[in-house]
Amino acid sequence: MNQLTQLWVECRFQLTRTAVRIVLLLALILSTSAVILGTIEVNNQRSNIAQLIDLDRVERTAAWQTNGDWGDIAYAGFHYTYDSPSKLAFAALGQRDILAWQHRIRMLALEGQIHERDTANPDLALLGQFDFALVASVLLPLLVIVLLHDIKAGERSAGREVLLLATAGSSGLWARRALVLSMLLGLCLLLPFWIGAFVSATEATDVLAVTAMCLLYLAFWGGLVWRFGRGDLSAEVTACGLVGVWFLLAIAIPILGRMAIIATTPLPESGEILMLQREVVNGAWDKPKQTTMDAFVATHPEWRGKAEVTLPFEWKWYYAFQQVGDQEAAALSSQYRAGIVAREQAALWLGLISPPLLLQKSLSCLARTDLSAALNYEDNVRAFHEQMRHFYYPLLFSNASYDPSPLQQHPVYTENDNSCAF
Amino acid sequence: MNNSVLVFREEWRFWSRSRLAGGAFAIMTLVLLGSVIHTWSYSTSESERRANLQEQAETAFLSQPARHPHRMVHYGHYAFRTPVPLSALDPGIDPFSGTVLFLEGHRQNSAMFAEASELSSLTRFGSLSPAFALQVLAPLLLVIMGFSGISRERENSTLIQLQASGVGSSSLLAGKALALLSVVGLLLLPLAVAGLLLVPSISASPAAVLMLVLVHGVYLMAWALGTTAVSALVRTSAASLAVLLLVWTLWVIVLPKFASSLARGIEPIPGKIASDLYLLTDEELADGHNAADPGFAVLTAQLLDTYDVDDVADLPMNIRGIVSSAGEAAATEKLNEYAQQRLSDELNQAHVVDRLALLSPLLAIRRASMALAGTDLEHQHRFLREAEELRFSFVQGLNTLHAEELAYSDDIKRSADATAEQRTRVDASNWRLLPEFHFSVAPAGDRIISALPMTALLIAWTLTLLGLCALIGKRVRP
Repeated sequence: MNQLTQLWVECRFQLTRTAVRIVLLLALILSTSAVILGTIEVNNQRSNIAQLIDLDRVERTAAWQTNGDWGDIAYAGFHYTYDSPSKLAFAALGQRDILAWQHRIRMLALEGQIHERDTANPDLALLGQFDFALVASVLLPLLVIVLLHDIKAGERSAGREVLLLATAGSSGLWARRALVLSMLLGLCLLLPFWIGAFVSATEATDVLAVTAMCLLYLAFWGGLVWRFGRGDLSAEVTACGLVGVWFLLAIAIPILGRMAIIATTPLPESGEILMLQREVVNGAWDKPKQTTMDAFVATHPEWRGKAEVTLPFEWKWYYAFQQVGDQEAAALSSQYRAGIVAREQAALWLGLISPPLLLQKSLSCLARTDLSAALNYEDNVRAFHEQMRHFYYPLLFSNASYDPSPLQQHPVYTENDNSCAF
Repeated sequence: MNNSVLVFREEWRFWSRSRLAGGAFAIMTLVLLGSVIHTWSYSTSESERRANLQEQAETAFLSQPARHPHRMVHYGHYAFRTPVPLSALDPGIDPFSGTVLFLEGHRQNSAMFAEASELSSLTRFGSLSPAFALQVLAPLLLVIMGFSGISRERENSTLIQLQASGVGSSSLLAGKALALLSVVGLLLLPLAVAGLLLVPSISASPAAVLMLVLVHGVYLMAWALGTTAVSALVRTSAASLAVLLLVWTLWVIVLPKFASSLARGIEPIPGKIASDLYLLTDEELADGHNAADPGFAVLTAQLLDTYDVDDVADLPMNIRGIVSSAGEAAATEKLNEYAQQRLSDELNQAHVVDRLALLSPLLAIRRASMALAGTDLEHQHRFLREAEELRFSFVQGLNTLHAEELAYSDDIKRSADATAEQRTRVDASNWRLLPEFHFSVAPAGDRIISALPMTALLIAWTLTLLGLCALIGKRVRP
């Protein structure tokens, strides 16, 4: 018999075993329900975004019509910004239930707005999400263990080991069996994903990448289980040991690592970003106007000649102190962000000793549902806010009388996706 | 009965010799102690941190200079959610909900800076709290110690010997179950001791602590009885272990996460931005900054009538302040209506999860434990409501100042006339109208009542499994 025929025979034999059928069916059910739930969630997010884009436009147009000078226009104009889920997001919902992916912002100091979170129900966030990434990274190894742990011990205790070795003859029997079972399991895991990807029109490169990652991961666990199960240990001792390894890699290391990271990478006081920004913005009302305008002109020299404020209230001064508020809080805010990035880096190192963590991080990075995607979205919002400032400053500083025609050129928020950079 | 004691003692002797059971027990003990110390110290330092920030925010408000009261409405205030005492045992949703809320006029903001968003990718795997250790890890220990309880005797052919020597199958099962139940007792000790220590130091309610220990006891009893039943029902130890691990995975990992995604799928929530936009689209709200807004025409006419004057300038109070106050009250009513809708949407999602507690006792214990500790969704909502009361109170206090302490004639000129602007500033001593804020947990009685349904469900689980054991006990076959 050539190799392929042997594999085919083995495959047909395995599919007659009830235990194998149950495990494969379980894998199929878990993967299918994860893909369905993930697709529903992503569709909900998409329709939510589409609806809000429309409502936001209607609302802004209405707000602009009741106002008659550039200061009011800028004050009343809220803009909906968002980060649409990618076409792969259905497979790895990632951290979109705890990180911000939509904001409605206006021309006021951005630091007072960007830390708002319109995120999911915390009760559900605590439980986590049932997505393909979870099934692949945490549940798949258990299924591999169930299928492969008694590959040899099972036959031994059934008294067939000697017979099998005598008749099949080749020492490749166990390896072939492990390979066939892993392939079948991989197929049950990936089939629903492929269908989901087809429905979501996911890019072929992403589908290939996910498939390759999952197969590699499967090979890791298959190899591990095969190595353990080949010895002369009893099936239950093998299973216990393997579940122990799974527990260590999938649960213990991430949890202990989290404690270690929190202890070793402290963040600057988040509350202070808010309070500092507020003090600077509101303090301006009690300071000489020139102090604010000097700080503003220092970063915006193009308005040097036009920064004189004579009345107790002028819009250009109002928006200047919003700008200065952001400037003063910028250092603390970027320290805070750097701290979060450092923590994420540490978590990445942790992934090197915890393959389940590594797979989850890789999948959510690829699906743009991880921290790096959220930070990219934050950058997009900051860039848009900056564009608005560039749009309004000339109108405010030239004391232009109100004429709605420049509104045609008002910056429009656009998504600017970046790709996963591991 | 004597025979059960014998079996009980033999089981402990077996564990003391077994490296697997002994090792697992030792690790679990360390984990439990570690979790108690870690969570306690974390919760204490968070309490201090947030209480400090709250104090800082209050000091900042009180030390503002003389200003126009409406400036203070926009200066605003911060409400920090300090952790409740029992979050040292079960932090619940604390890490996933925002810790600080910015309070200002005309708007209700969302809570910011949840701990989970500061360590996003690892929060998925859970954090090591006593509640996590007892709800997720302890069942695994019971499985490891008990999976072979009966099946081992069967495989070693000692079952026949036992039965021949007069140990009935009921006593055998009772002894094995009692041995596992004694492990449950030991597992609860760290929680009970920590709870007792917490009572005097941070004034946690003794009744709530007792209930917290009890519900975990009932939950773990269900696991101990279930494990014993499976080891008697299934023929081999390997199969018994496989079944129990499958149940653990389903109950602890699959069903809870499935429940969460299902709740999101069938009861999607539009979110706060959507809710804000619905409000703006559906409701006509008058602008409290603008005394000429047609929305206030009736109010203005009434005032002119009451004081028998023709011009708002002749009113004995500042119409701008009156209008601010009326606008805030009307807006708040609407804002609260929409906020209430969001909160009940969240509770609806939670109820979907609760329904699946019929399939997984983890969902039941989790809900009961968080309710008792005061770290559940209801308490997050309580925080949001208390903070909103604070917001409305100081904003309206400032609006009253605006109406009563400021001359209308100065107020309308303040943007253009520097001396008039000076006269519209009220003395800084007025800022003392800000109420102190300290988020506190609901009374222990309320918490216990809200934990009752899930406690009843847990008791039902345990009684059912007890009945199953009794049924099996009559006929354990070698």
